[in-house]
Amino acid sequence: MVEGIDGSGKSTQLMLLHQWLQSEGYGVVFSEWNSSPLVRDTTRRGKKKQMLTPATFSLIHATDFADRMEHNILPLLKAGAVVLCDRYIYTAFARDVVRGMDRKWVRELYGFAVKPTAAFYFRVPLDVAMKRILEGRSGVKYYEAGMDLGLNEDPEESFHLFQGKILEEYENMIPEFDLTTVDATLPIEEQQVQMRQIVKAKLTQAKRLRVAP
Amino acid sequence: MRETYSVILPKMNLAELTGRLIVIEGTDGVGRSTQIKLLRPWLEQQGHAVLDTGIKRSQLAARGIQQAKEGHTLGRITLSLFYATDFADRLENEIVPALRAGFVVLTDRYIYSLMARAIVRGLDPAWLHNVHSFALKPDAIFYLRIGVDDLIPRVVFSSGFDYWESGMDLYPSEDMYESFRKYQTALLAQFDKMAQEYDFTVIDASPDIRTVFERLRVGISRALKGEPREPLFAGPVPEVGAQDSGNTEVASAGKANRPGAEN
Repeated sequence: MVEGIDGSGKSTQLMLLHQWLQSEGYGVVFSEWNSSPLVRDTTRRGKKKQMLTPATFSLIHATDFADRMEHNILPLLKAGAVVLCDRYIYTAFARDVVRGMDRKWVRELYGFAVKPTAAFYFRVPLDVAMKRILEGRSGVKYYEAGMDLGLNEDPEESFHLFQGKILEEYENMIPEFDLTTVDATLPIEEQQVQMRQIVKAKLTQAKRLRVAP
Repeated sequence: MRETYSVILPKMNLAELTGRLIVIEGTDGVGRSTQIKLLRPWLEQQGHAVLDTGIKRSQLAARGIQQAKEGHTLGRITLSLFYATDFADRLENEIVPALRAGFVVLTDRYIYSLMARAIVRGLDPAWLHNVHSFALKPDAIFYLRIGVDDLIPRVVFSSGFDYWESGMDLYPSEDMYESFRKYQTALLAQFDKMAQEYDFTVIDASPDIRTVFERLRVGISRALKGEPREPLFAGPVPEVGAQDSGNTEVASAGKANRPGAEN
């Protein structure tokens, strides 16, 4: 599972890891944050109409995650697959707490989540991440920029402030959850080498399904 | 001052919430909505502005829940959290604004039903308590209590057995009747447990509508005046006595305060 602020390059790293695991013969499956088909409509509606409060934002994401946990991640793990998660509960811990939800409440809310075999945190300075993100697209979305917090009326400025707070939360979680930190300013290849080493050491139990890549 | 069950949501100022929150709890088919239909005009006649609300009516999640249930594909944790989302939406967008405006909020079920249904489906009570711990503590919780034998004819002759209310997701091999019986028995046991934990005022829902309505009126009048509740699970004989004397007491007090308010 990979975590980090937007623009940390975590998705790229996970994609590369996916390729490698497949070539090694593991049964590998992706699971993305916010992807449960069942809950998606509600989340989308809430976001579009900007009707989400910190509480409902938190709970709807937990609902989505629970659906993925119950119908996707758990059965796959039981079947011996390697499940790759782009964002995990730590994303919720960071965002929800920045939105003002109680730290302990959010952690207990996700008490049903499986503890990850390997948890990578891609650490990147805020300015580097901002540059990567804002170059690639025309603008940021309302909730993504944390506009609901009223930090700043300018979306870009709000995004900056919001991500800064998220970064602080992540930093606090490194010791709390024993996250494996990867320096996301290193060359992509170098980060991938680190990741593969750690994953390899932890994958002794997973089944090699010999699925043709 | 108003309290929550532990967590206070962002931007929620409890001191502002001057209205009253009254919860009507009870299992499926016990007559909650009938009673609320009677209670609302009664409260309005006394000059209270009333908001009545219930589970599964929020703008945000009601449609999603309905769709999900139609497909019968939700996991139990997921369903619980979906309901909690819906509840949070209703709390923040309906209940809290009404309480801020000084309304009497009459809610058809509250977190207790949500928790009871989930506990019966095997979820951890402590986890559920935490999930719902942002809920406001009501001024009074009236639990319309009924035995499963009294419940069955009511359900059969009104709506019939419903898939979820019969717990068919729990006992898929049973027929609807057997499943309903098992499920509701477990649910009622859970409600009884919660009645003590959360200090419900228990009202026997087996008599006719009028009688139950009268008992509810007595209890609500007391709650609105901030008087202590009747003892929980009082034995049948003292309970009836206490309620009778309470009834007249409340009626006269109500008349003294608001002439002509009572019918």
